[in-house]
Formats: sequence, structure tokens, C-alpha cells
Amino acid sequence: HQNQASCSAVSTLTCFCFLTCSGFSTRSGLVLQSRSTDVHQNLALEDWIDANVDLQRRSVLLLWRNRPAVVIGRHQNPWAECDLKAMRRAGIALARRRSGGGTVFHDLGNLNLTFFASKKAYDRQRNLKVVTEALRRLRPELDVRATDRLDIILNGHYKISGTASRLSRQSSYHHCTLLHSADRSALSAVLRPSCPGIHSNATPSVPSPVANLIDHAPSLQWEELVEGVAEQYNKGSTDSGTVLVDPSDETLFPDVGRLEAELRGWNWTFGKTPKFSVETQLQLPEARRSGRLQVDVKNGRIDGCSIDAPADWICERLSGELSAVLVGERFCPNAAAAAVAALLRCENRRMRELCAAVLQVMG
Amino acid sequence: MAACGLLRSLSSNFSTVLPLLARSAPLSPLQLASKPYFGRTISSSSRLSAALKFTDKHEWIRVEDGGVGTVGISSFAQEALGDVVYCGLPEVGTQLAQQDEFGALESVKAASELYSPLTGEVVEVNTLLADNPGLVNKSCYKDGWLMKMTIANPAELDALMDEAAYERYIRSIED
Repeated sequence: HQNQASCSAVSTLTCFCFLTCSGFSTRSGLVLQSRSTDVHQNLALEDWIDANVDLQRRSVLLLWRNRPAVVIGRHQNPWAECDLKAMRRAGIALARRRSGGGTVFHDLGNLNLTFFASKKAYDRQRNLKVVTEALRRLRPELDVRATDRLDIILNGHYKISGTASRLSRQSSYHHCTLLHSADRSALSAVLRPSCPGIHSNATPSVPSPVANLIDHAPSLQWEELVEGVAEQYNKGSTDSGTVLVDPSDETLFPDVGRLEAELRGWNWTFGKTPKFSVETQLQLPEARRSGRLQVDVKNGRIDGCSIDAPADWICERLSGELSAVLVGERFCPNAAAAAVAALLRCENRRMRELCAAVLQVMG
Repeated sequence: MAACGLLRSLSSNFSTVLPLLARSAPLSPLQLASKPYFGRTISSSSRLSAALKFTDKHEWIRVEDGGVGTVGISSFAQEALGDVVYCGLPEVGTQLAQQDEFGALESVKAASELYSPLTGEVVEVNTLLADNPGLVNKSCYKDGWLMKMTIANPAELDALMDEAAYERYIRSIED
């Protein structure tokens, strides 16, 4: 077991030395496969490769999959895109990626492919062809094709892959999903807003009906799919096979831990949300009427708050006090609850109910 | 150790597109006459020129009165990007070193990082872009400006390309 681990580490190092060997004039590719199923570790590995690998003369394909997670695009609003409360209950992680595009649900039945190349060699259609050609060879009866939006559609109908990408200093990456056997009921349970009444100019998602490859090709094994894609990518090059890597290994990827921490952090995940406002009703059963809540959220924190509760049920001064306490807090039920803890414990039952109603909105 | 082999060697072609003027040479009237691009006055090597300077990342900076620089992306860049759908810009007050990532423009093509042309502090951000990101495509040198920043180190400005040098640079990479 020990030998195996060190052997694969050595072969990894060999492959990496390959990457910078000046003797190579052919533009061959290298296929890496991540051992990790942690979405933040895998996104950090993408960042690391993008920043540190010389992609001018060769390209890299990274294959990875994650334990259940919702991944939002660079400029999206997580409160608008997914049900944070449901995700917390189900232990589903949230990640914001650095590429653009919309929200996707990842689980172990979804294969992620990241095509790294120089900016000159950036060609998403060509990359998707690797996937469609691989599928055609594996299961010729399937009708798979890439659209102008760079989705891959199965049998003219179902989206099995979505695409996003990032252009940086010298390099580019284009990544896409590929639905092999994802849990579609989990997907639909979480891909809906956390709270109503959001007004935002964050980039929206374009929902599509999806299907899994195994729905239409039940005999297609995961390993078969991975090998098929890797083989298609390596076609016509001198390299073959895939190299397993551990994205948390700092001897191979120095400083990757810092990249991971940044991606996992609140400031990136929530704090990067474009400014938005929420305008919604407050459920106040005790009052037998509803109130209104208006919140402005900037960098994930409450920037302005106005609570409108029936004046004959709770005096304006008290609802004003609650508003004031919330300003500056993260737009998050836990953070807000801590901020209003004193008010939640106060003797005034109506104040407690008002607090609870406001926290309820935050997801 | 393995990582050292992975670190990308910096492209060496930047230096070939830097302007040919020696930075420290004072401008004599004779020199000025042979360099028509520069709107400099004889009396000072004032950098309050309305001319644009360009980076190799296709960003421009224009120095305004008061020594603040307006930053945007070039026509070449906006065309390569395609329709911009979102502008991710920094907070006012952000300190930037030259080449720091300061935001990203999202288009159908990709999320493209923006790199600070100079060292300085962000003093203003174009709020019109929030509702109208397409201004970056329609008017990249005027209404589609991205941010304004202080210029902590004016010498950095000298190292950027003038319009003619930038044109040559574009032609060289298009080949």
C-alpha cells in the first residue's frame, strides 16, 4: 500500500516534469484525475494549475467529481440560485467558482472536465467535441451534440452538460459537467431561491430539462466513461492514460491550501455576491396581518433594512430598533440570530415574533 | 521541488513592445519635434496627457486632471470578449499593485480577469455598468470606462505602450 502510494507519486512527478521538458515540440495533452471529492479542493486545484502550469506548449485535461454540492458562477447570487436552508439540512456544500455561467448541482454521478490551454489555444467547441466523439464511440446509438450555447444535448432534448470558462493572464480554462448518474431529485430540491422577493442584476441561470446518460444507456459504466473521454483527449498524442492526483498534496501543489481556504471562505462564497435587495412579506400569525421587510445586501452584508409592521401591533420604535441592529450583519440566519439574540430573549413576545419572522426570510 | 519545474517561465516578448524613449532623458525641443505622439509641454515632463497608455493585457489608462487615471479595456479586448453581461468591479478604496487582479468581465465567452495597469487606490467605479454592462462594448474608451485610480508610481505609466506601440503589439499577436 505504501509502495503503491509512492509509486503513483513518482509517476505524477514524472508527468509533471514532462510538462516543462523543453525537448517536446509536439503539443500533447496530459490527463489528470483528482482523487478528491471535495468541491473546494478540486476548484483550488483548477486555480493552481491555471496559475502554475506552463500551458503555452501543452494542454491539460482534469477529470474530477464532487460529493453533493451546488456550484454557482462567479457573479451569481446564491440566495437567488439555491435553497440554502435545504442544503444545510442535507449537508450539501455551496461553492462559488471563478468562471462565469450559471448554477449547477454536482454529485458523484456527475463528471467534471476542465480543459486547460493557452489563451491562443482556447477553443470550447473543440473541447466539447472530445466529449461528443467519446460518447459516439462508446454508445453510437446516442444522439449527442453541442449547441451554440455550448450545452451538450442528448436525443435532441435533454441537457447532459453545461459549460463555463475563465481567461486569465496567459491561460484559459474551460470546464463542463457531464451527467452520468446524478441524483435528479436532489437537484430539483435545491435549485430554487432561498427567499422570495429578490431584486438583483447578478447573472441568472438558464434552467433546462436534464437527463442522465444512464437513463438512455443503462449499461454505460462510470469507469468506461472516464476512460473513453481520456482516450479521446489523448488521441493522436504521445501521452496516454491518466494520472491520479491528490489536490491537497502541497508537495506537488505548493500553496494550494491557501487557494482552497480562499474558495471555502465566506468572503468569496457570499461576500462576492453582487448588490441586491429583498422585498417581501413578513409572516406574523400573531398579528393576523403581514408586515413588510425591505433589505439591501451589499457584499453579503445588510446595508440597509426597513421593517414595516402594523403600528397597532408593535410600536415603530421597536421595529426600528430591530432594523438598526441588523445593519452591518451578514445576510445569514445564524449571524443575524446572534445579532438579535438579546431581542429574541426579551420579554416582549411580539418583538420575538417579529425577529423570528425576519430571520425566517434569510434562508 | 516538483513545483519548481511547473512554474511557468515568464514570456519574454513584453520587453520588445515597450516604447523606445529612455525614461530618464529630459525632453529637449528637438526631441519633441521628432516624436509627434506626445502632447507634452516643453517646460515639464508632465504626465497630464490626455493620450491613452496601454498594457499588454489590453487595458488602457488615461490620466485626468488631478493625477487620477481612468481605466478601461481596448476595442481589441471588447471585441475578443463578445457581449459583456456582467462587470465585476472592485470596491472604492481598494489598494492595487500593478498587475493585481481587480475584477472580471463576464461575457458569453468566459469570465475574463482584469489586471490593474498601475499601482494605486480605486477612487471611483463606473456604476452605470451595473445596469448596462454593454457599454463596455459600445463605448469602451468613453462611457464604458471601468474604474478610476490614483497613480502611486508615475514611472509605471512611462513603461506602458502608447497608442502606436499598442497598434503594433496587436498586429504582432494577431499573426
